[in-house]
Amino acid sequence: MKTYHDIAGDGGSGILEQVAEQRARITDALAGVRHLVAIGSGKGGVGKSTLTLLLAGALRARGLRIAILDADFNGPSQARMAGVRGAVFVPGIQKVALPRTADGVGVFSMGSLIPESEALDFQSEARGESHTWRATREFALLGEILRSFEWGPLDVLMFDLPPGAERTVQYADFLGPFDQAQGRPRVSFVLVTIPSEVARGVVARSVAALSKGPNRVLGYVENMSGYYCRDCNAIKPLFDSPESGGLGIPCLGAVPFDPELARHCDLGIPFGTLRETPVRQALDQIAQRLLDGLKEPRQ
Amino acid sequence: MKFLCIPCDTPMKLQTVGPPERGSLSVVYSCPECGYEIAMLTNAAETQVVQSLGVRIGVADGPANTSTSGCPFSAMIPPAPEARPEPAGGPAPIRWTAAAEARLANVPEFVRPMARTGIERFAREKGALEVDERILDAAREFFGM
Repeated sequence: MKTYHDIAGDGGSGILEQVAEQRARITDALAGVRHLVAIGSGKGGVGKSTLTLLLAGALRARGLRIAILDADFNGPSQARMAGVRGAVFVPGIQKVALPRTADGVGVFSMGSLIPESEALDFQSEARGESHTWRATREFALLGEILRSFEWGPLDVLMFDLPPGAERTVQYADFLGPFDQAQGRPRVSFVLVTIPSEVARGVVARSVAALSKGPNRVLGYVENMSGYYCRDCNAIKPLFDSPESGGLGIPCLGAVPFDPELARHCDLGIPFGTLRETPVRQALDQIAQRLLDGLKEPRQ
Repeated sequence: MKFLCIPCDTPMKLQTVGPPERGSLSVVYSCPECGYEIAMLTNAAETQVVQSLGVRIGVADGPANTSTSGCPFSAMIPPAPEARPEPAGGPAPIRWTAAAEARLANVPEFVRPMARTGIERFAREKGALEVDERILDAAREFFGM
C-alpha cells in the first residue's frame, strides 16, 4: 500500500500550492529590504517595544531607511508610541502605503486599526477552541501584512515581537526560510532583558530555543539598567540584582530607565527631539553595534 | 492530508467541497480507478485551522469548488464604516471612481474600511466629493508616505 510520500500532489485540495504561493509573495514583498531584525525577549514588560522604536529612531537619525512591524498583535503599542494611532491607510497602485512617524520611520501596528478599548478578535466557528488555531491565524495575518504593505526599499525592517520564548522561535521559523532560499540576509535577533534574575532566566530560555535552529542572534540589550536622574545627571541603581554571567551572547549595551523617555513614548514624540543624555548616547551606541553586527559575515 | 483507495492503491481526487455548515465542511473525494467516493467531514476546529491558513480548499481545481471562506480577517475589526449608512444630516456621500475603487480593492479587507474612511475624510477636507487617483496620490504626499 502506498504511503503519504509515495503520492505526488495533494489530490486537488490546492492547500500546499496556496501556502507556497503566499510565501513567495512575502519574499517578493521583502525583496527591497536589506535586513530583517527581530526585537524579542521571551519575557514581557522588559521594554521590547520601547527599545524597538528608539533604536529605529537612532538608525533613522543615521540616514537609514527604517520600518517597524509591530508583531505584537494582541498588545500593540507601536501605534501610540510612534504617533500613528490615527494613521490614514492610503492605497497605492498595488499595495498600501506605510504610515510614518514624524521622523520618517514606517510603522505598521494593529493599534492603528483597533482602538485600545478593544481586543483583536477573529471570526470563528470554533469558539472555545482558539488554542487549536489562533497562532496559525495570527501568522497568516502577519503574512497578509507583509504581502500587502509597501516595505521597500529599506535598510532595516524591525519586528517588535510579542512575549513568549516559543513565539520568538515561531517568528524565526516563519521569517527565516525566505532568506535562506533567496540567499538574502535572514532575520537577526536582538533580545531584551532587564537586570533581574527572573527576566534573565526567561531570556536565557529564548536564547536556548533559538540556538536549536539556524538562527542569528546579534546579542542582547539590558534595559532599565539603572535609572537616569536628570537632576544630578547620573545613573543610579534600579534593581538590587547581583552581577550575572550574561546570556552567552554579545551584550550590545545597557539602557538606563529615563522617566522623561517613557513620557516621550506615551505621547508619541519622535526620537529626533530627544536631548543628548547618557540614555540617548547608550541608544546610539547600541544602534551602531547593531549595524556592525549586521555587517559581519553570517555564522 | 491525502486519501488513498486501498483496493486500487490509488490516490483519491477531490471532487466537491460543500459550504461550511455550522462550522463543518463536507469534502468529497473519489477514486479515479473504481469511482468509489468518500466524504471528509470536519469539525469546527478542523475547519478553523484551514481557514486560519488563509487558503481555499480546492481552489486549484477551478471555481466549481466552494471556498472555505473569504478573507480570514474580515471579522476581526469593528463593523466596517462602509457598511454603515450615513446618518441623516451627515456629510454628503463621497463617490469613488472606478480606478480609485480598483486601488482600494488591492487593500486587504482588514484595512479597507479604515482606508476608505480616512481617504474620504481627506477628500472632504480638500473640498472634493469624489475620490479619484489624484486624491489618492495627494493623500499619499500629504501624509508623507
